[in-house]
Amino acid sequence: MLGLIGRRLAYLVPVILAVTALTFLIANLLPGDLAIVMLGDQATPENVAALHKQLGLDLPLWQQYLHWLWGVLHGDFGTSHRTGQTVLHAIAGRLPVTLELLIMAELGGILIGVPLAILCAVRPGSAFDRTVSSIAFGSLSVPPFMLAILLIFIFALRLHLLPATAYVPLSDSLLGNLRSMALPGATLALLEWPTIMRVLRSDMISTLQEDYIAMARAKGLSPRRILLVHALKPSSLTLVTVIGLNIGRLIGGAVIIESIFALPGVGRLLLEAIYLRDFIVLQGGVLLVAIGFVLVNFFVDLLYAALDPRIRHGRA
Amino acid sequence: MWTVNRRRGAFCVIAVLLAGLNLAPVAAAQTRGGTVTLGIEQDIAGFDPLIVGVYDTGQEAMASLVFDTLTRLDDQGKPVPRLALSWDHSADFKTWTFKLRPNVKFQDGSPFDAAAVAFNYQRMLDPNNHCRCLFYISYIDKVEATDPLTAVFHLKAPAPNLPALLAVSTVVNVFHSPKAIEAMKEGYNRHPVGTGPFRLKSWQSGDRIVLERNPDYWDKGRPYLDQVVIRPMPDNTARFASIEAGETDIIWTDRAEDILKAKTNPALAVHEYAGSGAQVYAFNTKVAPFDDVRVRQALRMALDLKTYAQAEWDGLWQPAKDPYGPGSFVQCKDAGALPYDPDKAKALLQQYGKPVDFKMVATATPRGREIGQIFQEMWHKVGANMTIDQIDQTALVTKAFRRDFQLTPWRIIDLADPDPQMYANFHSGSPLNLAGYSNPEVDKLLDDARNSADEEKRVSDYCKIAQILNRDVPWFWTVDNHYFSIAKPQLKGIPKQFSDIIDLSAAYWEKKS
Repeated sequence: MLGLIGRRLAYLVPVILAVTALTFLIANLLPGDLAIVMLGDQATPENVAALHKQLGLDLPLWQQYLHWLWGVLHGDFGTSHRTGQTVLHAIAGRLPVTLELLIMAELGGILIGVPLAILCAVRPGSAFDRTVSSIAFGSLSVPPFMLAILLIFIFALRLHLLPATAYVPLSDSLLGNLRSMALPGATLALLEWPTIMRVLRSDMISTLQEDYIAMARAKGLSPRRILLVHALKPSSLTLVTVIGLNIGRLIGGAVIIESIFALPGVGRLLLEAIYLRDFIVLQGGVLLVAIGFVLVNFFVDLLYAALDPRIRHGRA
Repeated sequence: MWTVNRRRGAFCVIAVLLAGLNLAPVAAAQTRGGTVTLGIEQDIAGFDPLIVGVYDTGQEAMASLVFDTLTRLDDQGKPVPRLALSWDHSADFKTWTFKLRPNVKFQDGSPFDAAAVAFNYQRMLDPNNHCRCLFYISYIDKVEATDPLTAVFHLKAPAPNLPALLAVSTVVNVFHSPKAIEAMKEGYNRHPVGTGPFRLKSWQSGDRIVLERNPDYWDKGRPYLDQVVIRPMPDNTARFASIEAGETDIIWTDRAEDILKAKTNPALAVHEYAGSGAQVYAFNTKVAPFDDVRVRQALRMALDLKTYAQAEWDGLWQPAKDPYGPGSFVQCKDAGALPYDPDKAKALLQQYGKPVDFKMVATATPRGREIGQIFQEMWHKVGANMTIDQIDQTALVTKAFRRDFQLTPWRIIDLADPDPQMYANFHSGSPLNLAGYSNPEVDKLLDDARNSADEEKRVSDYCKIAQILNRDVPWFWTVDNHYFSIAKPQLKGIPKQFSDIIDLSAAYWEKKS
């Protein structure tokens, strides 16, 4: 088990190096020059050259990257040229919001997706199964921003049940916070459940055809016990993988959702950093997101081992 | 684009001596207390001029609360005292002396005096600081304190409208506590300390900034509100939803459909102000096909601005005839705007003889695309092919400064005097002359208008300039600058939205009757 953890952790290093190097490259390929942004109307060629030198932007790209990497290894993620804040400080203030949003989205997605998947798998092809499957298919095709605006329209403007944009920090009020996070969380959860439902449903259907299920039925176990104990666990391997991988997609969704609901999360910070060419913040943010993503999937791998003893014994 | 400020009324003010009483003409009905939540567009980066360079409308709105300016504009757009009690100028308008209000303190307790005024300007003017803000004060040579309550501005060029130019809360017009700047260094950027009616209470990056009443404000009795909360809401739809749902009390907007919707909603009030300046486009006259005046004239005459204003701006913004706009003191009887004449445009392009294929830069926004498509269609009808090159704001500014464009959108903002922008945009010696336009006659008129205090003469100079520019079309103007905010009707005490700044410094809640 320890060996497994060690091996998986070792994979993180090349992944994170590749992600940050790629971000660095892409960010520098965007048109628009930080020095010109900072100097604005003062952007004479001499001023631009001087500022490039001062910021180290005159060095070759690979040197800039190594320079940045060296700082990161020493815990220095840099300072935003736009706000004067350190990158860690800027991100730390935003992280809880995004984490909460992601957790709500995943939990919501699981709460809707898993029960529906089980119900559909019991009688595949039934009217219920077909209805749920087509709703799931439809939901998958709705873009997040449209769903967000639809929810705002219904719940905030027409029914006045939930706030649209009045974010309340957790430290102010738990209830207020949950209310303000309800619509953004629901938007992402509604995009999340169809995948969960579809994956689990098809795995369940095939599990339910296994011999040991027939055996369990023959033993007279209650259908509920068979479904929830004997069938669910072996069917959830793919589900766990999908949830892990979906975190990446959700972070992408969070960028849009945070902007629409005016939530002070990491996604919006990164979006602004791109618009304003604040590459230091972008770079640091992407690194932390990448580490988070890789870690989640690392834990998913560990979870496999718990779900399926064959992996634990190194045969998978 | 970057922002600045502006407003109309330019007037030679001669030693206005009003006693240092109340600023706002206060009726008796102001209630005290309450909170106002303001929804702005972008997150606020900070306030140190050396770091942020220029304030956008959101920063200016907050600056109008935390800081004070030397003067303010009354409802006619004339400068009246704020931190300065009176002012006087030399005969050539190149030396201005401001007498300051005594006993004013910054929110950290340090005194506001002429030394603080000089400190703020000298810090921005220091060439080693490379302040982006320098553009807006390039006409200032230096500012010095001759005694604790006298600040003297020495200008490089005459500025008959200096008191009006100093009135709105732009990056170059507000006063930061020298003590706070020196103590906090880079940290000052997000811990602004001014003399204004509100002081910073908390700052949740990306979420909200809470300002509370400054109990030691020099204007006793003000502010009326206990608290102002500023919330960045980048999504237009969500910002409008927030005021409809009552989560905000006033929002900034430039979306015509929301403004029209709010006008029919009795629970909302629309504040609007037709400013000076205009939405403008610059041709690069150094490259083909725009090095030929016939092509530029043809493209301008192919634009049906009335239809355009209706289609893109729902008629809320009006077609522009000159770069000065309805808010300016420059009102021309005949600015010589070219008419909409597609047949003439076709004929001009035929005379030119070569195919006209070009790229127009547009911002990577839905609006940028819509405008591009309308122009494309109108130009296509007369035989010119335009490709839209959508890029984001930052890249747009970079391209413009590098002269890497054929046709680019730009902005002439609401400033109290046309001089700073007209001179920068059209004088042949200006580094910001994006079009590469050079006309000795225009240069002479610009110099003349700059060096004169005679308003009639200046108006006539600027109108002559407009006629020449409308004829030569190095730039063209589409619609005027119109500024809007949407508020709850009970929120009162909000002045005109000069320079697109929502100023809540004297706002109050109307008593419930």
